[in-house]
Amino acid sequence: MGFWAEAEKIYYFMKRDIISFSTYKTNIAILIATALFGALSFAFLGNSAVSQAVTQMYNMDFTTYLIIGLAFNSYLTQSLTLVQKTINPWALEEVLVSPTSLRTFIVGSSLWGFIWSTAVVAVYLLIGVLFFGVDLSINVAGTLLVLALGVGTFLGFSMIGAGILILTKQGDPVTALITIATTLFGNVLFPPQVMPPLLQAISYILPQYYFFTSIRLMLTGWTILEILPNLLVLALMFAIIVPLGYGVYAWCLKTARKNGTLSWF
Amino acid sequence: MQNEYAIQTVNLTKIFKTKTQATSRRFTPRKTVAVNAVDSLNLAIEHGELFGLLGPNGAGKTTLVKMLCTLLPPDSGTAKINGYDIVTQQMDVKRSLGTLFSVGERGFFWRLNGYRNLEFFAAIYNVPRQKRRDRIMEVLRLVGLEKNAFDLYQKYSGGMKRKLSLARTLLPDPPVLLLDEPTVGLDVISSRNIRDFVQQTVRETGKTVLYTTHYIEEAAQICTQIGIMRQGRLIACGTPNEVRGLIKTSELIYIVVDQISAEQAEKLRSLPSVTKVSDNNDYVVGNQKGFCLELKAVDQVPAIFDFLYKENIKLVNFHRVEPTLEDAFIELTGRA
Repeated sequence: MGFWAEAEKIYYFMKRDIISFSTYKTNIAILIATALFGALSFAFLGNSAVSQAVTQMYNMDFTTYLIIGLAFNSYLTQSLTLVQKTINPWALEEVLVSPTSLRTFIVGSSLWGFIWSTAVVAVYLLIGVLFFGVDLSINVAGTLLVLALGVGTFLGFSMIGAGILILTKQGDPVTALITIATTLFGNVLFPPQVMPPLLQAISYILPQYYFFTSIRLMLTGWTILEILPNLLVLALMFAIIVPLGYGVYAWCLKTARKNGTLSWF
Repeated sequence: MQNEYAIQTVNLTKIFKTKTQATSRRFTPRKTVAVNAVDSLNLAIEHGELFGLLGPNGAGKTTLVKMLCTLLPPDSGTAKINGYDIVTQQMDVKRSLGTLFSVGERGFFWRLNGYRNLEFFAAIYNVPRQKRRDRIMEVLRLVGLEKNAFDLYQKYSGGMKRKLSLARTLLPDPPVLLLDEPTVGLDVISSRNIRDFVQQTVRETGKTVLYTTHYIEEAAQICTQIGIMRQGRLIACGTPNEVRGLIKTSELIYIVVDQISAEQAEKLRSLPSVTKVSDNNDYVVGNQKGFCLELKAVDQVPAIFDFLYKENIKLVNFHRVEPTLEDAFIELTGRA
């Protein structure tokens, strides 16, 4: 099966999701309102100690720091559950008996979610720029590179979570753990450097830290070369987590098929 | 070269491991029990055949269908669809198959209309883009949903949902169809429409159909071959008549006579060919009452007539009752 044939399948997965999504009009309104209020309310937060640390480390004001953090946190949080949303057991069986590869299925089922998340990020940033004086100087290539690495890494986590969910049927510890770790240690709401050294160490082993550091710098005028060490660490984590996630998902799916529990939910 | 059989299984086996339930409040370790859902199943279905697979709940019919469509890997044995192995040639198997699951309506997207649902499945089943629209409308017309093509799926009735499942199964025009209980839960008219449609499809297109059902007479009505499964094994296979014949150990003969004395009835009971005689003249044919005899074989009937003639008993009515497929099913699946 050629590339274009697979791309066309992915397009139809996305088309299906867009049509379904567009019928939930109330939900769309709530999602947009949440993004709006989230950006507005969190932008007022901040204490002087954190603000100073942010200014020193990133050369940006705390509001800019926070809005970028919140915008991309929603992006990553949504990415984290994208694969899980595709495992409606009945729809899963119907797709698995079709001549469609697992890879196309995962990418196709996730694509619309990413596009929608991108729109939500745009809303956050737009509010920041219009109402809070957020000053953006976007390095487009660098931003896309960081996004690809960050989203790919989170998709890897999402596949691990979804795989576990296929086996356990209810709840997966991976998603919960990653969400908590992102909020506390992920450099979303405050830089880890304001925490005690032991807790800082946790941040440095998480891809979230490198993602949020890199994306902030790419949106505020830094060059790729200037953040290369961060990017390399993120790329290394991407190279480990994506194949690991795919492997775990494929293994869990295979195990559920072998045990005949795929449609048990 | 076309493979001899459209569907062929050799010693196909699927074992599920389940844990035993706790029987008391005190801690007792739960044991793992192996259940042979499909047990060394050998099946050969020729091209263009409409094969009905019958069996009580838990007989292994759905497990077999799920293995054939590559959803479940077998534990041992092999199976081929259109000559392709279900383990090593999965993509070829998937291209050769259309599968309808017994809960197929849940595999659709409720916020999309019928046409958009089929458009999605046409794409993932590699229906060429240029032909896609025509093909979707063609299958919708075939199942009688053309007028409802652009209605939201969530507004479809149960029968319409099942018809759309059938349309999806036919969409890529596969040579082999696996239909797992396609009429379950449907009203009489919808069931009949689907049966007629399946029969017509086989007749006109030469497709091979494996049709699982609980409804015995449904299978007898449309299938050219029938298999009966019990505890994962195929315990009977053949044409509906052949399967009926498997339990043809005795014949039921209903005889209505004008008058018969208790003494004559006793003599009738003692005849070597008679296995059972009803106690009373309680068998009713029209407005007549009579006896019901059970004979070892139909060729014993002349001996009975001879007896009636000698005893000067006037024969008013006579007919022979064939065992139904349902009788065969109950006897075969109920055997220890």
